[in-house]
Amino acid sequence: MDIFGSFALILAFLAAVYAFAAGIAGAITRRPLLTRSARHSGMAVFGLVTLAVASLEYFFFTDNFSMAYVAAHSNRALPALYKFAALWAGQEGSLLFWSWLLSTYVFLALFVNRNKHPELMPYAGVVMAGVQIFFLTLNNFVASPFGVLGGPDASGTLRLAALGDGHGLNPLLQYPEMVIHPPMLYLGYTGFTIPFAFALAALLGRYPGEKWIHITRRWTMIAWCFQSIGILLGAHWAYAVLGWGGYWAWDPVENASLLPWITGTAFLHSVMMQEKRGMLKVWNIWLVFTTFMLCILGTLLTRSGVISSVHAFAQSSIGNWFVGFLALVFIVCFWSYWLNRDYLRSDNTLDSLVSRESSFLFNNLILLAACFAVLWGTLFPVLSEWVVGNKISVGPPFFNKVNVPIALFLLLLTGVGPLLAWRKTSFDALRRNFAWPVIIGVVSGIVAFIFGFREIYSLICLILCVFVTLSIASEFYRGARVIAARDGSNILAAIGDLTMRNTRRYGGYIVHFGMVLIFIGIAGSAFNKDVQMEMAPGQSLAIGPYTILCQNFDRVANNNFESERATLEIFRDGRSEMMLYPERRFFLASEVTETMVAVQSKPLHDLYVVYAGRSPETGKPVIHAYQNPLVKWIWFGGIVVVLGTGLALLPNRRAALVLKPVTEQSWGNAVAKGVSPIGAIARSSDAHD
Amino acid sequence: MAALCLTTGVLGYILAAHAQETQRAKTLGQKLLCVCGCNQILTACNHVGCTYSHGMLKELDDRVARNEPDDLTIQAFVQEYGSTVLAAPPTTGFNRAAWIMPIVVPLIALYLFFELIRRWRQRAAIATASGPAVSAELLARAQREAGKDDDEQR
Repeated sequence: MDIFGSFALILAFLAAVYAFAAGIAGAITRRPLLTRSARHSGMAVFGLVTLAVASLEYFFFTDNFSMAYVAAHSNRALPALYKFAALWAGQEGSLLFWSWLLSTYVFLALFVNRNKHPELMPYAGVVMAGVQIFFLTLNNFVASPFGVLGGPDASGTLRLAALGDGHGLNPLLQYPEMVIHPPMLYLGYTGFTIPFAFALAALLGRYPGEKWIHITRRWTMIAWCFQSIGILLGAHWAYAVLGWGGYWAWDPVENASLLPWITGTAFLHSVMMQEKRGMLKVWNIWLVFTTFMLCILGTLLTRSGVISSVHAFAQSSIGNWFVGFLALVFIVCFWSYWLNRDYLRSDNTLDSLVSRESSFLFNNLILLAACFAVLWGTLFPVLSEWVVGNKISVGPPFFNKVNVPIALFLLLLTGVGPLLAWRKTSFDALRRNFAWPVIIGVVSGIVAFIFGFREIYSLICLILCVFVTLSIASEFYRGARVIAARDGSNILAAIGDLTMRNTRRYGGYIVHFGMVLIFIGIAGSAFNKDVQMEMAPGQSLAIGPYTILCQNFDRVANNNFESERATLEIFRDGRSEMMLYPERRFFLASEVTETMVAVQSKPLHDLYVVYAGRSPETGKPVIHAYQNPLVKWIWFGGIVVVLGTGLALLPNRRAALVLKPVTEQSWGNAVAKGVSPIGAIARSSDAHD
Repeated sequence: MAALCLTTGVLGYILAAHAQETQRAKTLGQKLLCVCGCNQILTACNHVGCTYSHGMLKELDDRVARNEPDDLTIQAFVQEYGSTVLAAPPTTGFNRAAWIMPIVVPLIALYLFFELIRRWRQRAAIATASGPAVSAELLARAQREAGKDDDEQR
């Protein structure tokens, strides 16, 4: 069976090589047969990698501990769900999983466009096959998941050795979110391959117009959405499992996932300028290239051991492969750009600084500043060691200090952008659109200040959140009011109608609102409180409105772990409200101890309790309790972001048109009668976004 | 009664001083990283079996209790554990670059942003000057309609 999986992987590699070579030949010779066979070969990679993945999963579920990867990441008592997730628990399996997700995307892209874009698809297929070749090379020749235990005996015959039981899955990964967090993140990382492939293909093939953007818009949004879900699930996992009371530690691996998300966000905004005005063509191409390269860089950081991180896989020489691939990608991108740069001339220029275009441009600038700041902080320890031979740390205080002002500025632009018109916004329009959101935002800030809200960044954040929410609401209201007046419908129905007529625009606003909720949640962290105390049964500690009474400590066990558990009764205003059971689990197979946090989450704050073990001095159990305000808003904001993205992915519902016969008239007559043909055409088109 | 007042006063003073010490230790602890490799702020490291954080926190508490100046405490930690113990790069020598670059790069980008706009507008002006002649009537109509579109597209 191990031979079956290995064989499928080798075949997948050969199929990708064929898709690459035949694709190039087909693009050069323009022979449809070659192009078609390249496409079929590219699609076959998916089937073959699927077989390899299924084969490895089979080994996990049958507890085949002669397989090195299974023995290292599973054990007999591991629950079935985690046996399934063990596929991506280690270097080799996660790379195979990466290849599988990539092949799934490639299959879908090739299948959906099989009868479309005959000029573009051969090039795109070649780029996608090139990326697949790299990952399948790793799967086959560098980090194969199908290695077996044992070795040659005295006679030189290979003897397999099987362990009685495996080492078990890393306890940190034995949490339901870890079953979905890595796949979501990987779907984001791998998903950016598709827009990258189409962008590079359009450049190589000098494919005219903005077609590649129309083709890849949805792919980009899907990848971005998965990346967002992955990041948020990762944050939730860190919050619920690591037990330090926070959700984002600016760990290099966390940062690595954030970088392509930031550039992807910039691309999703700036791409509208190319669609609407034919501007920023060079910028957009490089944003897509950069996003893809940051995905590879993120993988490099995670797997090479260049930067120390609790999330990182074991250090290995695999990093060199990623460095080589990254260099190759950059050279190909730059070379393609340089050869075809004349094809990327802008059709239009910026008419005014006070316009939607300039706000998008500015938003891109700020996003890239944020991206640079995160990348700089992440890589600075390496740079410092290289330049002055002194390794230093760059931790949360640096990232918070640098990124919080940038993030607040971005939040401001989230509110400003939608209120500006394309091309130019008049002063009157500015005053009309901004007056109420600004006034109410500032008033809410003053009220909050009076009520003791003195943390400066949180105060600014509150003002901006109110401003952005009102600007979004006013956008919905203004559009819906027109529909309601014309159709006689109520305002809520009109909002629904408006949204469905331009899902991309209004879905985008909902995403912005989700970001507002996330910002509110993050701002709450300025008011976190925590108390740590050694507690014997019968003792209590107070935090915020809660009193935590320790009832007892007990031990529970199953086949997978033994647990020491605290039973805590939570009182609020003298009334018993709930019981919490924070634990420390000792996982038998891996012989590792981990905390299991107990969280009571409410809209206004979380009560977060950690059983921090026994004090080395007194032997008494230590309870660490946190009161974290508004954390729930972050997770809820994440859901809103996903819903908004889902809405933006839907096709627009067209307004019903009732045609009435008109007598044909010349352009001159139309102008003479005061009817503007240009205006009529412009108004009938989809003017927004 | 006097003894009770005195005892309460002394107890109050001790508790306030202790709270102040705890707060100071917490603030200082947030400037330091646990050196076990977890990359976490010292006061946040809760790794099970972490052989560093407990000792480091105790040392920090002791130094704060001795009323040692903050700078001296931080310096002592750097000497004992190396510069990786600092949670953020110091603002000396090459490490200044860590703080400067995130400000300088956006400023350069901002300059390029305005420079780009300036060039675009210049190019637009040249294109208009060298374009085909447009009648005054047509130009007025175009401007009128552009204004209309502007209002509608908002």
